[in-house]
Amino acid sequence: MEVTVAANPELDLSGVPRLEEVEFHAVSRKYLRLRLGVWGGTQLLILAAAVAPAVAHVLTEDPEWAMLSQWWWPVGVQSVFALLWFLEEWKGFPRRGYAIRERDITYRTGWLFRTTTTVPFGMIQHSELVQGPVSRLLQIKNLRLFTAGGSGNLRIAGLDEEQAETLRAILETRTRKV
Amino acid sequence: MDFHRPARQHPLGVVILAIQFLIKGVQSFWPAIVGVSLTQLDWMTLLLIPFGISLGVAWAILYYLRFTYWVEEGSIIVERGVIQRERLQVPFAKIQAINLFQGPVQQVFGLTGIQVDTAGSSGSEFKIVAMRRDAAESLRLMLAEHGVQAGEDQNSDPVDASEEEGLQDSTHAYRGRTMVDLDIARLMKVGLTQNHFRNGLLGLAVISSLAGGLEHQIEAWLSGLPAPIAALMAAATVLLIVPGFILMLLAGVGVSLVTTVLRYFRFHSEIGKQGVFMESGLLRRNTFQIPFDKVHLTDWRSNVLQRVLGFETLRIRQAQAGDAASGVGVRLAIPAMEPEHRAIMEEVLYPDLSQGVAITGIPVGRLRWLLWLAALLPGTVPFLVWSPWLACAFAVFWLPFTGWTTRNRYRAFQLTVYQDAVVLQKGWFWRQRVVLKMSQLQGVEWKRHLLLERRGVGHLTFHTASGAKRFSYLDRETGFRIRDWALNQLHVNR
Repeated sequence: MEVTVAANPELDLSGVPRLEEVEFHAVSRKYLRLRLGVWGGTQLLILAAAVAPAVAHVLTEDPEWAMLSQWWWPVGVQSVFALLWFLEEWKGFPRRGYAIRERDITYRTGWLFRTTTTVPFGMIQHSELVQGPVSRLLQIKNLRLFTAGGSGNLRIAGLDEEQAETLRAILETRTRKV
Repeated sequence: MDFHRPARQHPLGVVILAIQFLIKGVQSFWPAIVGVSLTQLDWMTLLLIPFGISLGVAWAILYYLRFTYWVEEGSIIVERGVIQRERLQVPFAKIQAINLFQGPVQQVFGLTGIQVDTAGSSGSEFKIVAMRRDAAESLRLMLAEHGVQAGEDQNSDPVDASEEEGLQDSTHAYRGRTMVDLDIARLMKVGLTQNHFRNGLLGLAVISSLAGGLEHQIEAWLSGLPAPIAALMAAATVLLIVPGFILMLLAGVGVSLVTTVLRYFRFHSEIGKQGVFMESGLLRRNTFQIPFDKVHLTDWRSNVLQRVLGFETLRIRQAQAGDAASGVGVRLAIPAMEPEHRAIMEEVLYPDLSQGVAITGIPVGRLRWLLWLAALLPGTVPFLVWSPWLACAFAVFWLPFTGWTTRNRYRAFQLTVYQDAVVLQKGWFWRQRVVLKMSQLQGVEWKRHLLLERRGVGHLTFHTASGAKRFSYLDRETGFRIRDWALNQLHVNR
């Protein structure tokens, strides 16, 4: 095979728009209430499951529940997890948000585990507004964006109804234009 | 060939359909069949066999009669279904892959099946199991030709601009330069350089499931022996480890050879102006044509053995239907690609590779220590099992060995970004090179946890229509530059 020398000019990267300079819009505060509610509910369930044997122990005086003297082990581990989850929700919420540029939409989430995902409008196959029963009570909506192959799908949760409709409208015009 | 009038499949398709339905029936009712065969067989239950067969045949005849296809205004339409009728309309432009296949039955009768795949939701693809060879060829030509033309209108690829002659002569759109052509010797080479270890495990699983009853016999035989001899036998099993391992490897080589021959027998591939053509297989012969603009990802893999021969396996990935995780898309592989073949392929698919590198990225040095740490963990197992001295001796060997392999592995990671292409390379023993186009990117993701964020490190994921590809442990500045560049080029190149 004949050897060709590859042309190797330097490419000019200055002037490429920078994503980290965009401004993120927060989602609805009501969504924080929903997320903390889920956290609280789960903790209550776990607490109930933890307390039930103790109650049984007191009521029945069954010696088989003697292992309860080690109760602080699982409770300690569980409270660490509960605290981490709470921090993720509490500190993560202000970081949760979306940004819109001329040609793409970016969604950012998380405090402990942080992701920033950008999807170009032109690649969005279709979008969906979803509102479950609890979301309906709180008057918030979730926007789902679908891309080909499914790996780039995006779910922007906890938008005010108004905000959701605006976003949907923006998407519709942008997706068509690009 | 006129495809505008509704047509049925070739009459012999009934035979193929009947066989398919019977196999499917046995597959779905096998617990019941096994259960019945274990009980006392009387002539009443034996009557079920002809009854089942005639049911399958009757269903095949009905299915055959109710299956019609025709071409109408740039779409192929299929009407099928015995009880529930279904009408599929697939526009030519949506077709991702057209696959001609010949199973054993088709080969005997000289027929061909045709399978059409789309990128849309699953269920919108179909098979015509029996057509005359020439009819299938001309149908494929028709679908492929229109599909590519329609595809070009939507996104104009820089490659296609100079190819007007190719469009007029679409028979040669996928033919031209021969790429890989496997004769027996090369086929054997491909077989011998497969991953025998994995295939050995597979072979072992098959053997052990077949020889399940043998265990009891050996046990019974052992219990009959006098105690001292039995103890000696038990000690001797340690000596069997090495021959057992060799036996497993041999089984692996056997499995590799058989699967390779079944898959790649008389493999032939060509590259044309619009796409790649390939055919292969022994019992089931497949013929594929993949237009360049439907290729979403190319994945080159090789192990050390293959690199000694100068071989690489190319996997061509197309858009996946539905969920990426299910991975149902057509998987095409071209084995024994030599460096020149790769040069040809990449020149056509990614012409910008020769136009200069925009950004390069390597993982941060921290990854090297993490990889080493992970590799060192198995080295602690001997401390639990063996005597401390032996374990220490093993550690003395294991520490530098994993240090060396980790160094090689770490150095193999490389991310290179061009005008429109992204090249992700990794692996030392098993090397992998993934190339994707920025103009086909579905999204870009930057991901990290809190500790990595503090050190300014993260993982960059490229979402494509055929799945996500991640490059881990990039420093933030490089990661952001690559992300911004990719998001910019995505629109520039479309």
